[in-house]
Amino acid sequence: MSTDHQRGGDAATGDGRTILLIGSGPIQIGQAAEFDYSGAQACRALQEEGARVVLVNSNPATIMTDPEMADEVYIEPITTDAIAEIIRKEQPDGVIAGLGGQTGLNVTAELAEEGVLEEHDVEIMGTPLDTIYATEDRDLFRQRMEKIGQPVPASTTIDLDEGESVAELTEADLEERVQAAVDEVGGLPVISRTTYTLGGSGSGVVYEFDELLRRVRKGLRLSRNSEVLITESIAGWVEYEYEVMRDADDSCIIICNMENIDPMGIHTGESTVVTPSQIVPDEGHQEMRTAALDVIRELGIQGGCNIQFAWRDDGTPGGEYRVVEVNPRVSRSSALASKATGYPIARVTAKVALGKRLHEIENEITGETTAAFEPAIDYVVTKVPRWPKDKFDDVDFELTTAMKSTGEAMAIGRTFEESLLKALRSSEYDPDVDWDDVSDAELEEQYLSRPSPDRPYAMFEAFERGYDVDEVVELTGIFEWYTERFAHVAESTRAAQEGDFAEAAIAGHTNATIAATAGGDVDVDTVEQAVPGRTYKQVDTCAGEFAAETPYYYSARKSEFDSGPLEGAAAAGELEVDRDVESVIVVGGGPIRIGQGVEFDYCSVHAVQALREQGIDAHVVNNNPETVSTDYDTSDGLFFEPITAEEVADVAEAADADGVMVQFGGQTSVNIGDPLQAEIDRRGLDCEVMGTSVEAMDLAEDRDRFNELMDELGIAQPEGGAAHSKTEAMELAHDIGYPVLVRPSYVLGGRAMDVVYDDAELEEYIEEAVRVSPDKPILVDDFLEDAIELDVDAVADGEDVLIGGVMEHVETAGVHSGDSACMIPPRSLDDETMARVREVTEDIAEALETVGLLNVQLAVRGVDSDEESTVYVLEANPRSSRTVPFISKATGVPIAKLAARVMAGESLADLEIDEQIPEQTSIKEVVLPFDRLPGSDPRLGPEMKSTGEVMGSADSFGKAYDKAQDATGKPIPESGTAIVDLSADEFPDPETDDGAALVDGFTDHFDLCEEVDLEEAVTRGEVDLIVSRDRDLLEVAVEEEVTYFSTHASAKAALEALEAKDEPIDVQAITGRPKRTAEWGR
Amino acid sequence: MTAAYVALEGGHVIEGRGRAPGTARGELVFTTAYTGYEESLTDPSYEEQVLTFSYPLIGNYGVREERFEDDRVHPRAVLSRELTDDVADWLESEGVPAMDHLDTREVVTDIRDEGAMKCGIAVGEDVTEEDALAELEACKEMSEHTEIGAQVSVDDVEVHGADNDGATVALVDCGAKGSIVSSLLERDAEVHVLPYDAGVEDVEAVDPDILFVSNGPGDPVNFEETIELVEESVGEVPIAGICLGQQIVAEALGGSTEKMTFGHRGVNQPVLDLESDRVVMTTQNHGYAVAEPGEHLEVTQVNVNDDTPEGLDGIEHDILTRQYHPEANPGPEDTLDFFDDVLAMAGHHSQRAVPADD
Repeated sequence: MSTDHQRGGDAATGDGRTILLIGSGPIQIGQAAEFDYSGAQACRALQEEGARVVLVNSNPATIMTDPEMADEVYIEPITTDAIAEIIRKEQPDGVIAGLGGQTGLNVTAELAEEGVLEEHDVEIMGTPLDTIYATEDRDLFRQRMEKIGQPVPASTTIDLDEGESVAELTEADLEERVQAAVDEVGGLPVISRTTYTLGGSGSGVVYEFDELLRRVRKGLRLSRNSEVLITESIAGWVEYEYEVMRDADDSCIIICNMENIDPMGIHTGESTVVTPSQIVPDEGHQEMRTAALDVIRELGIQGGCNIQFAWRDDGTPGGEYRVVEVNPRVSRSSALASKATGYPIARVTAKVALGKRLHEIENEITGETTAAFEPAIDYVVTKVPRWPKDKFDDVDFELTTAMKSTGEAMAIGRTFEESLLKALRSSEYDPDVDWDDVSDAELEEQYLSRPSPDRPYAMFEAFERGYDVDEVVELTGIFEWYTERFAHVAESTRAAQEGDFAEAAIAGHTNATIAATAGGDVDVDTVEQAVPGRTYKQVDTCAGEFAAETPYYYSARKSEFDSGPLEGAAAAGELEVDRDVESVIVVGGGPIRIGQGVEFDYCSVHAVQALREQGIDAHVVNNNPETVSTDYDTSDGLFFEPITAEEVADVAEAADADGVMVQFGGQTSVNIGDPLQAEIDRRGLDCEVMGTSVEAMDLAEDRDRFNELMDELGIAQPEGGAAHSKTEAMELAHDIGYPVLVRPSYVLGGRAMDVVYDDAELEEYIEEAVRVSPDKPILVDDFLEDAIELDVDAVADGEDVLIGGVMEHVETAGVHSGDSACMIPPRSLDDETMARVREVTEDIAEALETVGLLNVQLAVRGVDSDEESTVYVLEANPRSSRTVPFISKATGVPIAKLAARVMAGESLADLEIDEQIPEQTSIKEVVLPFDRLPGSDPRLGPEMKSTGEVMGSADSFGKAYDKAQDATGKPIPESGTAIVDLSADEFPDPETDDGAALVDGFTDHFDLCEEVDLEEAVTRGEVDLIVSRDRDLLEVAVEEEVTYFSTHASAKAALEALEAKDEPIDVQAITGRPKRTAEWGR
Repeated sequence: MTAAYVALEGGHVIEGRGRAPGTARGELVFTTAYTGYEESLTDPSYEEQVLTFSYPLIGNYGVREERFEDDRVHPRAVLSRELTDDVADWLESEGVPAMDHLDTREVVTDIRDEGAMKCGIAVGEDVTEEDALAELEACKEMSEHTEIGAQVSVDDVEVHGADNDGATVALVDCGAKGSIVSSLLERDAEVHVLPYDAGVEDVEAVDPDILFVSNGPGDPVNFEETIELVEESVGEVPIAGICLGQQIVAEALGGSTEKMTFGHRGVNQPVLDLESDRVVMTTQNHGYAVAEPGEHLEVTQVNVNDDTPEGLDGIEHDILTRQYHPEANPGPEDTLDFFDDVLAMAGHHSQRAVPADD
């Protein structure tokens, strides 16, 4: 060859440069774990190039904030104050803003606007700020698109004049402006959007003029630049996203496109999404591809970004399209695209930001090609969102242009049907509908015409009832090609009922489902013999064109010509995992939902790291595309699969794994422990469920047996028991005495938990919230008012117990432990109580024969009194908990890793790790989704509602709490006007000492609001802080983004924070925070 | 259900579901494009080949004639994981056997590991594995199809855009895709499509501003007449070529070509322009490549994955060729400006012309 071009050139690297990487903060609706994945990948990429990486993120539950991920890791609020301080300390050469979601982008823009970046000579790397503005300001965006001849939906903005406030705007004036805007875009319906918001908050298709007026008024108030955008509605068109990558030298490629099954009008984060596109012809696809490249070049974006199109078949060969919007950064969609194709968008983005060109970056997956190519895929990827519908009875989960889902599951199959069924299974969502009770009319109106989380299931139901494809297309607006495939799934299910199993298996059902569908005496063995087995295929970025090296796999059924279970090499298919070495499967946590957040991904990843450190091959089974655990280089074998006993056992069989760990993926993985053990036994596999026995995990969840065990151990428990009927529940409540805490057994994040104060409330609870039945008992417990709640996380190896940390809740009993702020170390416990806490934890660990992690929730009463305090155990779970990462970050002791190592056979004594107690206080505070879920009850209570968490550390409790509030994005204002409404039972009477102390405390810092109509005052923007438990008032506070406290405990903590406002912000790298080697409670 | 078998070189037979009946044989190749099945199936470069789609679902958006590249289906047979009824019906009406429900990824990785191979296919009510094996037995190598030019070329000169004011192009049809003609017409050219075995006198009769050698199937050395024509035309008229056209130009100017292991077929082939140092995505469909360009041609573009020549410029003469398909259809439109460059070389700057690389 006569060519002399070079690959992997070292023209531009990060040698010696310090780069600041900003994370996205807590998990919230619209910003989930995807930025942990992209940030972690970017850290590695930058370090590979020789850069020194300084990382800041407020979210302790992330992998990216592990001390070894960057040269310096700061867990600090993502605010301009905190980051300016970090910049002063670290003097970075550049900042990469495009990897921390909207949060990272916004704070970088603010730092630039405040002159901080210029003062310290910090370069914005990758996409320039002007570009960011051009994509965020829709008017500006439209001008740029018009300049290059790209069609955009007709649009206009409504904004305030300089110095004008929303309050001053008269109704007539507003009406006039809104009418003009509607006329300009061609009449109602229109889409109304507020600029600069996360995940489309406050936007939607509006059909009524009055509704539009309300939205515009609110939007003007909330928008950072007092602007509301009104656009032509293109509802009903097909929505596409194209993931684009461009380097500084203008090479520009498409990673993949994504097609939304739901027509335009539903946020892409809320839609079922398929990659690659199925229904757009090549010419249309290429027109949009070319448009995407033109747009990204015009805007000058560098690195990964995303562009959205609306398209329809207008009869021409290529159809017609509109450019809808551009995200000038990596996003949820780019995480999905990376997992769907194997192309590491964040990694390449980071390298591009350093000046590398695409053809100079290696494609790690193939090892023989470069980042300058467009992935080819030979499978179908389907993403299904996961909504917190079970947590919010009051919220309408109709899917709109605003996001309400907390997470998502992705699946890969060889056909759409297979990938759809795998994705639905992975989402672990079960519609709370008894289809037998739903009439055809209701099915049509409530479940087919109205988009909701239940719609896919309703479509299957409709076909079951005999609806045809045309009717379902008409009702749902879902495109015919997809609807036909839904019909095919329904047909295959019917065939299974009639004894023909192969088609159902190929369509994506599990053998277990088919056996259950067939009923009668059909068991899994029978089905297994009749259907083609699963084999494994590689995700290789190139559709098989090059031999790939990366162990990233999905399962697919063989064709009907290969019936019967596949074994050995046939089952292994393209697996290149080493079947001869010791290997362990770590089962992940599936989609992010309330009660099961990124912390379980953190635990899973740590388990994998620990196993690999020990020389054991670690494989991951998981289906959440946002996470680090599903990054192709996290494990020795990544299996993108639904988490069911059958599918995990298949992986174990194909990879010839020696063990499976189910402790780390939260309830999702724990739940398959039992059935997985049974499946392993049925198949006679030489594979064990590792660590604490499945039996012991069951015991811990079985109320009666656990009670007995605690009695034997002499450990106090709140009086209570399980009731299998209403009568039993009433009797129990009377024995215990009100108030009592009631909840269904086997809960996830306190689902439908409540405190009831009398018979009437108990009856109402039983009738409305849960249906009690002999096989679904409810638990009735003494409600320990005023007790201090504790969380303890420990590791046990069967001999010794290592306590990771003891945390004291800020909130008292009555607020779900997952929603309570908590502190480490505790500040209210005396030495004797701490010693008892240790003793109780050790006794439970021993009694449950715990090998691995143990979380114990305790309540303490009587610490303030002269008598000895009592330590009650509320719950013990021999598995990972949501506090594991927080503890590890605060103490520096990686307990999830230790757990994996002892589960794999090492002893704590061998590991020689000491317990550590932090010298400072760290607060974990939660982030609540009420602003995203209109109609939800914004008061803290026994039901868990938080989506994520942040951490704040400082010498004093007050400052740490203040920093944590800053990090949640709802800072405590220093002064202004406050409402202190102590009328609820939760608060002390203002006449008492406690009550007076609260009122006086706030009066020291704030003027008290004198208005009669408090809600009105809040709406007018006259209130800065609220202490109240009045639901209506708090709903207004949520809408107006006013900081509020709905419990006595949090209000007291806020007062301490106010007192600590003068203390320095104390920004420190986590490894620098002082700790002492000492044992908890000794 | 209709039985279907494909027998691969070496004798391995795979069973599938029959979708369009018939028997056939040819060189087994694959394309990784996930859209553009209508364009691929009507691409004359697939003559004498059996096309496997690596993307499992083919036919999702129907079959529309205005998206065809030629008036008939060229592959001898089609393999897919899942064909829609639309496509199956179309192939049946064209008499092209087709089968699905087979593991096409296994077929693709076999081809990747073993190279493009001969195969035989039998689809029908009563066919057996033996029928497929018999087809395999009769299958020839691509280099043995010496008459392939006649199968894909026009018989007589065809003129398109006679009223156009732009360049006059003599397009030698070695199996030209329709989009090459339309790309030229869009740029106001008058296109004279000549048979692959046209002589110098035929070209002189057109008196073109440029001689343009099209894409086509198989081994370039099977196009002896075309190679001779180019040899004789060098220096007399500017020359352009696409795909097989590039290989013919190289052969004519003292360079050489070689068979690749399994070729490039897809719409995601990265090409680096050595002068601008930029990468573009291209559509490709070829099993042979230029090995040595010879003394009169310079390599100006290369494939990022395997360094094979993707663009050649004449050193002494006006010559511009591309190994990939700038006309897209299917595939990316990143390189449409090749046509502007070619017309500029011919002395006719088209409306959207940009200067040629040199």
